[in-house]
Amino acid sequence: MRGWVEVGLYGGEGMADSPVTINSPGGSSAPPSNDPTPQEQKQMEQAYAQMKRKMAMEEIGRKIKHKIMVLSGKGGVGKSTVSTGLALSLAQQGHRVGILDIDITGPNVPKMMGLDGRRLHVENKRIHPAEGHLGVKVISMAFLLEDEDTPVVWRGPIKLGAIQQFIGDVEWGELEYLIIDFPPGTSDEPLTVAQSLPDIDGMVIVTTPQQVALLDSRKSITFSESLKVPVLGVVENMSGFTVNGTTEPGTTLNVAGPGGKTLTATADSDGRFSVTLDIFKQGGGQATADEFGVPFLGALPFDPGFVRGGDDGVHRIVSEPDGPSAHAFANVVAAIQAQLSDGADSGLEIV
Amino acid sequence: MAEPLPTLKKLERRTQDMVLTYDDGSTYTVTYDDLRHACPCAKCAPMRNEDDTSRTLRRQIEALPAEKPTVRTVGKYAVSFDWVQGCSSGIYRYERLHDLALRRDPDRGKPYVHGAW
Repeated sequence: MRGWVEVGLYGGEGMADSPVTINSPGGSSAPPSNDPTPQEQKQMEQAYAQMKRKMAMEEIGRKIKHKIMVLSGKGGVGKSTVSTGLALSLAQQGHRVGILDIDITGPNVPKMMGLDGRRLHVENKRIHPAEGHLGVKVISMAFLLEDEDTPVVWRGPIKLGAIQQFIGDVEWGELEYLIIDFPPGTSDEPLTVAQSLPDIDGMVIVTTPQQVALLDSRKSITFSESLKVPVLGVVENMSGFTVNGTTEPGTTLNVAGPGGKTLTATADSDGRFSVTLDIFKQGGGQATADEFGVPFLGALPFDPGFVRGGDDGVHRIVSEPDGPSAHAFANVVAAIQAQLSDGADSGLEIV
Repeated sequence: MAEPLPTLKKLERRTQDMVLTYDDGSTYTVTYDDLRHACPCAKCAPMRNEDDTSRTLRRQIEALPAEKPTVRTVGKYAVSFDWVQGCSSGIYRYERLHDLALRRDPDRGKPYVHGAW
């Protein structure tokens, strides 16, 4: 399994840092022969593999109806949580969904999907994805690691070869949606995917409400302009933490909120109250979306259940399919689907 | 960026330029050469960082045969232009088009570095 992966990774074209030296200086002095030298044989095999992969990518482009990239400018905003949440929410609607976890150095999707420690099944040199909750197909670098403490130390070109292999050599089958989860930032990975995979529908930019994260998501938006991949919209994660409790009916409570603000909540006739603390401020995702004129897809609450669910491998949407987080994800999914269906309806007359 | 952006209602393609009509009644003409020189793609945008490479880009564009582009809207926030020859990679946000209409630098004087201004 690993042997095959390594052969494939080093065999990609245009890899300046590839350990394989294509042109051997001693090659020209060899006696003429009709049989290809082992070197030539290898080159032909590599060219053939590359061509096959390109064809496979085109076929994948046809078989997968919608391809959505999930990006963020900054790390730790919850891209993998949002990716898995979107995938599961779509699967809940009955769609066939896959997740491609491109985060080679920190692949977290398998853990969140309850696929920790799983190995990939390889048949006829095609990788078959693992199936997580609700039948969501998952491909991740984590499946190739010997153990989860081993880091992947690869230089750029090798990493890009691996990504191309992840796209071209995977047997996804027919899918309605493929969610592609990226490492943070605007670097090589999204570029490679945008150039390798045909007809990407667009990118979803995940942000948290505070200024620093917003600054970075603005970068992601301008990045998309240069890749010709449309922005489907901005999702604000970790939007607000809602505290629920009970007290005497009709009681008014004052809660010291973030930023020195006092929040007031009144208990209802059953004594239930709830108050939302905007830990990372509020409304920043909407502001960024407005500033750039891209759609705002919705806000996802700060839900500690995601942390537990991520660690236990049972996603919040699976453990609590009717909970507030599942509803928030369903709203974001609906907003994305609206973008996918009526993207052309902008009211602009072109003559 | 904070100023309100009028909504682009009509984009009329002519032989050498296009006429943009906004909902506030304003009308502007943007030449295809100016439009293509302001391409926000990762290949064209860095060429505008320096004056001499920017001029090279301009010359390359001016050497292209005149053609009317195919125009498509991108979501509800941008427009893309497909040309038979030359670069078709950039997505133009409405803000960029409005800057071009007003003869303003759409890069706002900022150099393009690693995928962003």
